[in-house]
Amino acid sequence: MKRTNRRKIKTKLKLAVLNLLLITLCFLGLVPILYALSLSLSGSGGALSAGLTLWPEKVTIENYIKIITEEPFFIWLSNSVILSAATMVVAIGFAVVASYAFSRFRFKGRKGILKLLLVLNAFPQILSMFAIFRLFKTMEMLDSKIGLVIVYAGSMCIFSIWNMKGYFDTIPVEIEEASKIDGAGDFQLLWKIVLPLARPAVIVTAVMVLIFVWNEYLFATTFLLNEKSYTLAGGLYQLQSNDYSRSWPLFSAASIMVSVPILAVFFCIQKYMVSGLTAGGVKG
Amino acid sequence: MRRSNKMLPWLYSLPALMLVGMIIVFPILYTGYISLTNMNLFHWFDFEIIGLSNYARALLKLDAGFLSALLTTILWTVVNIVLQVLLAYFIALALNAQGLKLSRLYKTLLMFPWAMPAYVSILLWRVGMYNTEFGLLNKLLAAMGLEKVNFLSENVPAFISCLALNLWMALPFMIMMIDGALQSIDKSYYESAQLDGAGFLAKNIYITVPALRGIIAPAVIMTTFTTFKQFDIVYLLTMQKGALSGATLQTIITYAHQNAFVSNNYGLSSAVSIIIFMLIICFSMGTNKGLKEED
Amino acid sequence: MKKRISLIMCGLLTAGALFGCGSAAQTQTTAVDDSTETSGAEAVSSTDESTEAAEAEEQASAEPTEIKIWHDADEAIMQTIADNVNEALADKQITVSFEKKTGLTDQLKLYGNDAANGPDMYFYAHDSLGTFIEMGILSPIGDMADASVMGDLLPMTVEAGIYGDEQYLMPVYFETLLFLYNKELWNGDVPSSTEDLYKYMSANTDAAAGTYAVVNQHSTAYNVAPFINAFGGYIIDKDGNPGLNVQETKDAIEYNKKFAALQADGDYNTVTTLFNEKKAAAIIGGPWLISGIKDAGIDLGIKSLSDFTLPNGKGLAPYSGVQGIGVLKHAAENKKGAVAEVLRAVAAPEVGIALANNFNCAPANVKAYEDADVASNEMIMAMKTTADTAQPMPNIPQMSVMWDPAEKLLAAVNKSGEDVNTAAEEFEKQAETAIADMQ
Repeated sequence: MKRTNRRKIKTKLKLAVLNLLLITLCFLGLVPILYALSLSLSGSGGALSAGLTLWPEKVTIENYIKIITEEPFFIWLSNSVILSAATMVVAIGFAVVASYAFSRFRFKGRKGILKLLLVLNAFPQILSMFAIFRLFKTMEMLDSKIGLVIVYAGSMCIFSIWNMKGYFDTIPVEIEEASKIDGAGDFQLLWKIVLPLARPAVIVTAVMVLIFVWNEYLFATTFLLNEKSYTLAGGLYQLQSNDYSRSWPLFSAASIMVSVPILAVFFCIQKYMVSGLTAGGVKG
Repeated sequence: MRRSNKMLPWLYSLPALMLVGMIIVFPILYTGYISLTNMNLFHWFDFEIIGLSNYARALLKLDAGFLSALLTTILWTVVNIVLQVLLAYFIALALNAQGLKLSRLYKTLLMFPWAMPAYVSILLWRVGMYNTEFGLLNKLLAAMGLEKVNFLSENVPAFISCLALNLWMALPFMIMMIDGALQSIDKSYYESAQLDGAGFLAKNIYITVPALRGIIAPAVIMTTFTTFKQFDIVYLLTMQKGALSGATLQTIITYAHQNAFVSNNYGLSSAVSIIIFMLIICFSMGTNKGLKEED
Repeated sequence: MKKRISLIMCGLLTAGALFGCGSAAQTQTTAVDDSTETSGAEAVSSTDESTEAAEAEEQASAEPTEIKIWHDADEAIMQTIADNVNEALADKQITVSFEKKTGLTDQLKLYGNDAANGPDMYFYAHDSLGTFIEMGILSPIGDMADASVMGDLLPMTVEAGIYGDEQYLMPVYFETLLFLYNKELWNGDVPSSTEDLYKYMSANTDAAAGTYAVVNQHSTAYNVAPFINAFGGYIIDKDGNPGLNVQETKDAIEYNKKFAALQADGDYNTVTTLFNEKKAAAIIGGPWLISGIKDAGIDLGIKSLSDFTLPNGKGLAPYSGVQGIGVLKHAAENKKGAVAEVLRAVAAPEVGIALANNFNCAPANVKAYEDADVASNEMIMAMKTTADTAQPMPNIPQMSVMWDPAEKLLAAVNKSGEDVNTAAEEFEKQAETAIADMQ
């Protein structure tokens, strides 16, 4: 009796310490973001030099209103949404089929290709800009969303293949074999059996693609020629690049507004996230 | 049912491989081609093939400065990866402690830094954290009655500052990976270990770590690559044009940028890029051993 | 404190969850609608189609012509220019549209000879002229710009637009650094020698408390150039030889160092915020700071940098940056008539007056200064005074690789405490390598 009591107290104490540690950690991690939040709420004067506090003296949302009214915020937002969604569909669509092939078939060059893909992934993407520009110019794909989707999908393809192939490996083949006997083709197998089982991995990979596209600005501002076709990250990048218009409170407000949709998506899919990536790594 | 079929798998992976070919392989080949030409400011459109002389010049750049940049990069990568994995491991362990009710909330909060575009985070840290006048760190020091510190003006503090920022930006991903991996470990192992009287340390060494190793290897390797070629943090924090902080920290990518890219000599900078790519491949051969692929 | 933060957090999370889950679910279905909406919105302002149409009928001058100009400046300023030019050219059926491109130099490297996607003209500072000319994307404007128009421009601005022997840039306005001070915070008169200024700074700076007398981006080459030029040193000479280790340059850097010690960390964000939040009584900066200063409600005083004399008796001599318009080769070939009209309209005094009165830009056209409002604008007149001693930034392409070593040298001396002599040798060598690497 006494012993179980003592153990209970011990566990409680341990949990309290853990909670305290984690709260501190979360707080530390959030400090820069809270700082940006407070800056963005402090009006155009900016509270950069205010004392050691994370709370602005005077709360105002004028910076947020400014961005919505003075910048084509909603156009940028919808561009970001379109580009991310389209990239997600293309990258995941192509990668799912490819990773299925790499997971389920044994063919010459399979291991070689997988390794090669990993190495190719090491080439700094920024160096590719000029070549892709030349290619797109010949193909007349500059200033088009399709071109950008191809760039983004190509950039995330390798990651997607690796991540999903790992997960497919963990799904027992026996499940498919049964259906195979019933005469289902590869695509039916993939669509009806593998994909539902691998849903977490697919969703998680899709979110990684989303975050990449959402935060990318260099290709967006280079390949799109009209400010109205920029993405949020591209518009935000342009917002702070100019000495005339550089305003920290405004910039912070814009950063918060860019990040919130991602956080929201993240929060929504969190329960899939965990199991998806876990298995994605299994025997990867 | 690991099938063997000659054509079918190629057909299935064709769209993806074409995409990779177009966006990744083609640029590498094109960079290789440009590296053989004299394309520069003075031969912008009328460049011609001049052979390997760019490589000869690029190799000349592999001097003491490059060597120290390479060492810095390796140190940067190793310290980052070790710290990331260790910290993420313990944080993930804490998040998975039995009876922790708020773990989902903590997890979401810890993911926050990930949602911000990288350059936003970096600029935010430069002004919001490290700035001598308005940075929170210096305000904290001032509040404690200490002197202001310029975190970015000398190499060692600048290295640590960059490190802290990179950890902040990269830990969420690692925590998530390890957290996921932890949940896949069969709980019965721990129960039997408990019966055998194994302590916290023993459980970690004999069960958790071995089980995790294979699972998180791909993530660690991908992160290693990213860290190795990391450019933004060092560049934006210490050497953005018009905002040099005083530190002279160089990684191989910033070194290449400074030595080949500002000069608008595309032939030369392409040769430097290809050499660096080769280096990264060599580097990856080393880490590749950690990645075991079943047959 | 904690409570408040957790409240914000909860608010954020719920808002995020509500908004996000909704939007995530809708993403797929609304994507199609969004795209039609955007393209609708784009069509209103998009000029692509009409540009192409205009190109097809390039020769016929009676047909409407669209001139596309890229810039990387303040959009309100560009809008003012566009409005003025469009009004002046309305009956000639020529319209100009300004489009902002961040990282204009890099963009022009890619799009410079692309008649379909690239611009016809560009609006930028004169210092990157050499780079674009050597790349072969610019056309000289000598045969398009009226001699009578050029005659009305300040000689310094015209000179800035000359590369080799030809005129490439039509100047519109120029900028120089100025001494801007807060009349409420400054005690007494502003000194007229740098030594007196230093004395004032030593007496009125308390770095620990975060209050400063004068702040400057002391490790930015552009902001130290007033000292370097006035000492007789140079960052790079006309023939493309770097001068970081020239004795005069080193003396200037050493002299600037004692000021730097009293000027915070010299980062752009730091110094402007210090001034705008009234923690610094004065700042060395340009007209681009004005809107922020106005918002902060500061009673601004202005003094030309050339009114400060160095111990050697010379006035500080800042660089001047001339903002103007250049013409891409393909436009000069295909749309010559329209381009010439635009060049004439953009240099007109009316544009200069509008820019001066709305944005404190110093016009390149001398006739603009006859306007009463312009003549009474303290800031513009200070810049005009400076224009006599100011040196146009070098416009040779080698300058583009000089900023980096020059600023590394300044940072090494001012921030890392290195000896100016050894550092100057090191970065001079780096500059020489960088210049050699261009070939």
